[in-house]
Amino acid sequence: MSLSDDRIARWARQLLVPGFGEEAQERLLGARVRVVGIDAVASAALVYLVQAGVGRLWLDDPEDVSPADLAGWLFPPSAVGTSRVDAARSALAPLSAFVQVDRYPTGGVPTAALVCAPSVVQAVTSAEAARRAGIPHVVVEPDGDGGAVVSVPRGAPCYSCARSTAGAGRPPEPGVAALAALGAAELIHLMAQPGSVTGRRVELVRGVATARPTARLAGCACAGAQPAEA
Amino acid sequence: MTAPERAASRIDIRAFACPMTWVKTRIALERLAEGETLEVWLRAGEPLESVPRSAEEDGHRVLAVEPLPAEGDGAYRLLLEKRRPGDAPVLP
Repeated sequence: MSLSDDRIARWARQLLVPGFGEEAQERLLGARVRVVGIDAVASAALVYLVQAGVGRLWLDDPEDVSPADLAGWLFPPSAVGTSRVDAARSALAPLSAFVQVDRYPTGGVPTAALVCAPSVVQAVTSAEAARRAGIPHVVVEPDGDGGAVVSVPRGAPCYSCARSTAGAGRPPEPGVAALAALGAAELIHLMAQPGSVTGRRVELVRGVATARPTARLAGCACAGAQPAEA
Repeated sequence: MTAPERAASRIDIRAFACPMTWVKTRIALERLAEGETLEVWLRAGEPLESVPRSAEEDGHRVLAVEPLPAEGDGAYRLLLEKRRPGDAPVLP
């Protein structure tokens, strides 16, 4: 398969990024990304994933848009009280004709996942489901206007090995969009250039990002046999 | 150096403007094996100035730049050799 001229024109600047290229763009186009939690924290990440050319986004969130969600980039005030998934689909559709955005289908088989869950328990559960499915995933941990993102390529130490042990962070502030963008960038790397990214935790504090490799906790289940590739 | 008459592949980017001129060239180079040659038909002016420069910055070799009289005024033929291992990009 090769990219058509209209797709090349759409992603022309991105295709010039060193280390990127046609094959990487085609991997993104072929991806099916499950996004768990699409509140204000995830808003910027969704915009980046669509703009980058991820082929299919599956939105997984049962809640309605709340006034707090308006702090993100996605929802207009008129969306308050409507389904987050429906409102996000409406907001994302004009951004690209090449990306399909849908509600996560029951039994859907994603090729990657972005976890922006509103609670630690949901984040751990969603990340573990992704690990068991053998798909790369990124977990966003907001804390005020910063926080951390944990990148988990296939076979890397799991999110439970790398998550914050301090519990839930402070409520997210508008500046957390930078964290969400970082999460989207990490996931794009994992999908576009598999094998080039190792498991890592990136802390974002006062606008400064610091990365460190993740390490497996002794006795963690993720040390066992890896599931078959998705 | 004598430029080879036949290239492994050829593209015509005369209908495109920057940045598509270099993007199309770069994608065509990606599809080649190291050391293979690519013939690019391009227009005088900005494409003729920027595409060879971008190719050299990316580590490829410019083997020839010559007019293409059969294609009319302002048409040029650029012959590039895809970079080989060890041919490092020239970072600006």
